[in-house]
Amino acid sequence: MNLNFACKYPFTEEGKQAIIENEIQISDEIAEKGVKRIVAALNREYRPANPVHISDQLIEIGSYGAARMLLAHLKNRYLINKFAIAEAKKASYLMGSENEANLEKLRKELGVLPQEFEGRMVLPIEVYVRFTPKSVDYRLINRNVKGGFVEITPREVIRLMEEGVKMRVESVGRFPNAPEVIRKNSERLMKLVPRTAPSKMSFKEGDNPPCIEKLLETAKKHQNLGHQGRWTLVVYLINKGMPYEKILQIFSNFPDYDERIASYQIKHAIKREYSMPSCSMMLSYGLCIANCKIGNPLRWKAWKQKKQ
Amino acid sequence: MEAEKAMIRKLFSEYYGQAKVEVPFIEQREFGVGGFRKKIESRHMSFATDEALRNYLVQDSPLFISHSIAYYKYPEATPMENKEWLGGDLIFDLDVHAGMFLTPEEIEGVTNDAIKLEDVLKEEFGIKEGEITRVFSGGRGFHIHVKSPQFRKINGDERREIADYVSGAGLDLSKFFEKMDKYRIMGPKRSDWGYRGRFCRIIQETLKEKPSKIHRGLKKGEEKNKVLSCMEDGNWSRSPIKDIVERTIKVAEKEMRLETVDVDTGVTIDTKRLIRVPNTIHGSTGLVAKKLDNFKGFEPYRDALAFDSGLLKIKATQDLSAQDFANSTMEKIKKGEEKEVPKSYGTYLILKDAAILV
Repeated sequence: MNLNFACKYPFTEEGKQAIIENEIQISDEIAEKGVKRIVAALNREYRPANPVHISDQLIEIGSYGAARMLLAHLKNRYLINKFAIAEAKKASYLMGSENEANLEKLRKELGVLPQEFEGRMVLPIEVYVRFTPKSVDYRLINRNVKGGFVEITPREVIRLMEEGVKMRVESVGRFPNAPEVIRKNSERLMKLVPRTAPSKMSFKEGDNPPCIEKLLETAKKHQNLGHQGRWTLVVYLINKGMPYEKILQIFSNFPDYDERIASYQIKHAIKREYSMPSCSMMLSYGLCIANCKIGNPLRWKAWKQKKQ
Repeated sequence: MEAEKAMIRKLFSEYYGQAKVEVPFIEQREFGVGGFRKKIESRHMSFATDEALRNYLVQDSPLFISHSIAYYKYPEATPMENKEWLGGDLIFDLDVHAGMFLTPEEIEGVTNDAIKLEDVLKEEFGIKEGEITRVFSGGRGFHIHVKSPQFRKINGDERREIADYVSGAGLDLSKFFEKMDKYRIMGPKRSDWGYRGRFCRIIQETLKEKPSKIHRGLKKGEEKNKVLSCMEDGNWSRSPIKDIVERTIKVAEKEMRLETVDVDTGVTIDTKRLIRVPNTIHGSTGLVAKKLDNFKGFEPYRDALAFDSGLLKIKATQDLSAQDFANSTMEKIKKGEEKEVPKSYGTYLILKDAAILV
């Protein structure tokens, strides 16, 4: 068990082993560090810590474990997703300058194992689609695909590994009967969480076409949405006459929400008076899920009423 | 309609008495059956063996029977979460929107699509011949079942990526190009795979056959060769034509659409889908959802008949045009006219509400 590795990548088996072998207990100090770790995630502080002394490394690993326990106890999807994004970004930063032996270890653990096919670096299609980031550039249709494989670069492998880390950290189990130190620090944590999250979102069912419903559902579940999805959602809501404050409230549900940036983007979109993309544009963005054949998502309500 | 229903059930039962209906890993599949009201009237059924399924089909003769694309630990359990999903086949549904009968052009179109899809699955997805099951749907198209272990565990979103790849949904040719700096544009190369490779092949063909389609200046050999050389290493800045990217995209776009296959994405992405059991009868047509060795040369109204011999006396409830069916041409039938027709044809018309029994 390599303590340095476990400290850098606490989500790995090595991280788990470190906790067991060193009998790391969730003390007040470690639980507080766990709270700090989550708050740092909320504040989008993605620079990894770099403890040198063994005792500090053990506390660092313990803080990850404590953070997971806090999140499992709270079962707050918003916090879990924010935390997962932060841990994934930290890992990705470290992987960028990692030695090959450690990278190989991580690739094996996450299941992102490139191979060679016809002289190119590739991933099997089923692995590729599992770890694909929500970005147009990574859509299978825009990639080199042959013989069951997708061509990939070393930099893209790390990007997919980042997704793998996010998926792993997001998967938080149940934690009934949390000890007092966790319950106490959970309360402390919730006092530090910004009041904008999680927001209420209420829409009458059937008011929006399936593509928009899916985008709204993603927000409701505090899951992240790619740039195209967010832009489309904001343009749709503006075109539906939703006021700025309500749109901001919806966007506050996204785990990487930054009020300053979201506010600027929404105001900019309002000012520019963007038209809602057509259904065929939605299809090209990868956002169409139902092929309603109504031409434009804004026509949904009228089309439904006509159908009735 | 009661006489018709009884006759149909009897015919179906007779068919199942001699038909070969086998479902791989049957004990892990959920089944759903339907009748005259709808295709799936009840589900959460399971059968331990093919023999048990066959006995049920002979006895109960449902109009429709489907099995899950999924493999479950407890296929008969409810609700769905209790079944414990173990994985699922990858399914593609190709359909054509037709009138009462498919026209020869529609049959040819959907057959070509099925062949195209099969080629993509083999060449680009690496799927082996033995992992593909080709099935006529019994209605207006085909189903392709892919049983490759590597795709068994993929979820709905991941299946969507594959369905979108096949159907060309979201294909944006401008994404194949990237401006590296003020002077350099990198784009697809001849050696590229997938849609990028296809793009280059189309442009290469166009440069060979009709270069003026891209730009009239490309009629000159030297200029044409420069564009061809762009596709050697993907450096499109080498082209003498300033807007070569936009021009080639415009030319390739239409051709690329022809290379895509219109599949029903909803079927592919649904990991709990029920799909018609191969070699059973489709209750809206009386045709067999026949397992095929090959799509080419298949004629549904000749090769998918469940009831070979015998005649049926029917009365048309609407005007019926002449139609090729069962190796003959069925004559026109006027509304209200009574006629003796081959059993398969008569059953087809009755199930389509175009005739009644006399």
